[in-house]
Amino acid sequence: MRVRVRSWKTLAAVGIVGAVAASLAGSSMGAPHANVVKVAIMTDCKGAFAFGYDVDIGGAQAAFAKYAGGQTKNHKKPSAGMTGIKAGGADVQIVGYGCGNDTVPLAVTETKRLMEQLNADVMIGPLSGDEAVYVANYAKSHPTKTFIIGTAGSQDPTMQIHPKNLFRYHGDGAQWNAGIGEIAYKKLHWRKAAIIMDDYSFGWTSAAGMIADFCAVGGDIVKRVFPPLNTTDYSSFVRQLPPPNQVDGYFSAVGGSGTSAMLKAFEQAYGKPNPNQWIGNLFFGFLGADKVVAPKFVGSYVGGAGTGPGLKLAKTQAYENYVKSYYPGQNPDDLFFYNYYQAAHALVMGLQKSNGAVGAALQKAMPRAIPGAFQIANGGLVKLDSRNQAIQDQYQLQLTKNADGSVGPQVVAYVPAVAQDFGGLFKPSSPPPGRTQPPCKKVHTPWQGKIHVMKNGKITNEVIK
Amino acid sequence: MNPATWTLRQRTERALAALALLFAILAPAGLVSTYWTHQILLSTFFFGLAAASLIFLSAYGGMVSLSQTALAGIAGIVLGNLATHGGPGGTSKGLHLGWDPTVALVAALVITTAIGLIFGAVASRSAGIYFLMITLTYSVIANQTLGSVTKISGFSGIGGINRYTPGWIGDIQAHPNRLYYIALGVAVASYAAIRYIVRTPFGITLRGIRDEPVRMASLGYNVELHRTLAFTFCAFLAAVSGVLYAWWSGQVAPGNVDLPSTINLLVMAVIGGLLRIEGAWIGAFVFIVMNTYITPNTHIPGLGLGGTLFGGSFNTIIGIIFLAIVVVSPDGLFGIWARLFNGAGRNLPLVPRNRLRKNRAIESPEGGGHH
Repeated sequence: MRVRVRSWKTLAAVGIVGAVAASLAGSSMGAPHANVVKVAIMTDCKGAFAFGYDVDIGGAQAAFAKYAGGQTKNHKKPSAGMTGIKAGGADVQIVGYGCGNDTVPLAVTETKRLMEQLNADVMIGPLSGDEAVYVANYAKSHPTKTFIIGTAGSQDPTMQIHPKNLFRYHGDGAQWNAGIGEIAYKKLHWRKAAIIMDDYSFGWTSAAGMIADFCAVGGDIVKRVFPPLNTTDYSSFVRQLPPPNQVDGYFSAVGGSGTSAMLKAFEQAYGKPNPNQWIGNLFFGFLGADKVVAPKFVGSYVGGAGTGPGLKLAKTQAYENYVKSYYPGQNPDDLFFYNYYQAAHALVMGLQKSNGAVGAALQKAMPRAIPGAFQIANGGLVKLDSRNQAIQDQYQLQLTKNADGSVGPQVVAYVPAVAQDFGGLFKPSSPPPGRTQPPCKKVHTPWQGKIHVMKNGKITNEVIK
Repeated sequence: MNPATWTLRQRTERALAALALLFAILAPAGLVSTYWTHQILLSTFFFGLAAASLIFLSAYGGMVSLSQTALAGIAGIVLGNLATHGGPGGTSKGLHLGWDPTVALVAALVITTAIGLIFGAVASRSAGIYFLMITLTYSVIANQTLGSVTKISGFSGIGGINRYTPGWIGDIQAHPNRLYYIALGVAVASYAAIRYIVRTPFGITLRGIRDEPVRMASLGYNVELHRTLAFTFCAFLAAVSGVLYAWWSGQVAPGNVDLPSTINLLVMAVIGGLLRIEGAWIGAFVFIVMNTYITPNTHIPGLGLGGTLFGGSFNTIIGIIFLAIVVVSPDGLFGIWARLFNGAGRNLPLVPRNRLRKNRAIESPEGGGHH
């Protein structure tokens, strides 16, 4: 009798475990739906770029609303969701938002969650440079999925890794800075400069643009300093920079929450910084930094990001007005917002051409050129090169005081149709940007001596001399 | 191995273990979705392996090591630097030595085990909290080194490692079931190896050292040497786990060996139970499932804030579970399991109460501590 009770209990325990396993198995198997395109939006919700979460989602969804009939659940909080998107006869379903923290390991788990658990066909994203390096490698081994980079600006994904199913409809970090070195050389008369850059793929690529452009016209970079991303105390790094009386100026490619922390450490080390001695990359003027950093740097030149704040074109203003009415809390000139917007627009165009098909058909149908609110050259179209990388107009900026007393970036220079290779300086066979890459070399960039001065948001015929 | 002499708990556990193994073997045949096999179960196998190396050191050597994650990461980085190619279409970071993947694999295991030998030799003279701190230092050193030496890693680490697998394994991208069965086989083999080792004179000596190091030393045993060798063996297990991770995820970066990742492995081990090797895989499984399904977007009706428990914060929930386990059942889920049987009054406790009070990890032969 005793034995029988025991074996009965054993069976019961085994049965319970079996039932749990079976229910887990059942719940995890999703039935495929016909004519549904599953889209994942990968962005960051933690780390240095946590503020980009709703900005990125808002950008993509604003485009889905405009071009594919999407309906937002909340005009103040894009991440609340969007339904009703249709393109090329297919229902486009946003199956998930990726929540990265700019590090690669989390990008791995989030990418796998979005693409394999939620079975997304298309990813719009990621946000950050090294995440995109991972996603590009991932794309290479998942050829049926399609990847459209959100706003990550590292060079490697399209230049060195270059999977065929990965597209980027915006410039990389180096392209964004095309022309800023020439401005430093000609307008500010810098000859010797130091550079401080985040020690990861985007920081290196952004700095590569500044270094290449500045050295191309004859400038010299005397010191490169690389604080790790997510540094909070920059004092030991700014001490590695030469003091202000030994260089003509400093380039900064420190981003996210680090920008103001770095500048504060600089001020503590060397006193109040002189705006004419600093040129920052896009992080000086965007992404919340405009409230903290910009007021102290009125007059500083700032590298662009493919958007042109204050550009007076009818299509620019139409785009800005639309965004302000659709997602009132969002800044349409913000590069995060605009780049995700462009990516989603490209996807809608691709799906329309592929009649809602995904995989290889969609990759073939992805547009080779898309309209851009800030694009003038090439007939107003952002074109892709042979490596699926955008050739994009760039606007260099200056921090100016607005009529209402606020400080923000305004366009001051226009560099048409900047390609990723900087006229042959960057090649698929050359090492990607790094701490010592590229070296400082006097070369000829396609836009040298042809950078247009902009006044009051209009391009003039005058070039920067 | 006479089933007639097994206790009820032994029977239940062995039946469950056999069922779990059968399930794991058959899972890729469509029992569960491919996400479950290729992500959740597969990563359970190798994270469990790393956790098992931690539990082995703790349960049989009395050493709680926080460097297992670091050693796994080192193996992955070495493999990535040795095996990947650069140039157009290759990967973009690392040394790009382009070795034969099999040679690179052996080299990664040998180098990591050698580093483990050095780490172990240094740490073996300490015990308790000091051992914990020394091994934590190793993990910080690994994290900082990978983050700042951009030639071998840098912030992004090495990517695309899964494209350079040995020829005898083939393309694990196209055939992910191969990696699944390799990881399963490795996990089972490692478990068997640990079970074997604890029964050898070496394992028994190690247990003696754990309980009475001074007495063992006066009996003539070389305490430091035994600790060092145990640590080196576990470095090898961690290295295997790191290689599997690198093949599975395709990349290894400093973020894999940072403090949160180090703590995560300890949490897996504690959830499973620091006293039994099996707990490693149980803990890893629970941790990974929770990490996968607790997100701000997973709405559970009727639960907490806006339908998501604690706003979907994984760290909050896993932290509460960790606290609950430490307070209620310091020997983890296996402790709770043992107590279920104790309630029936037929079996002696898995862990004698006085041992728990002394807060000392002990080995637990099947059927509890009665012999």
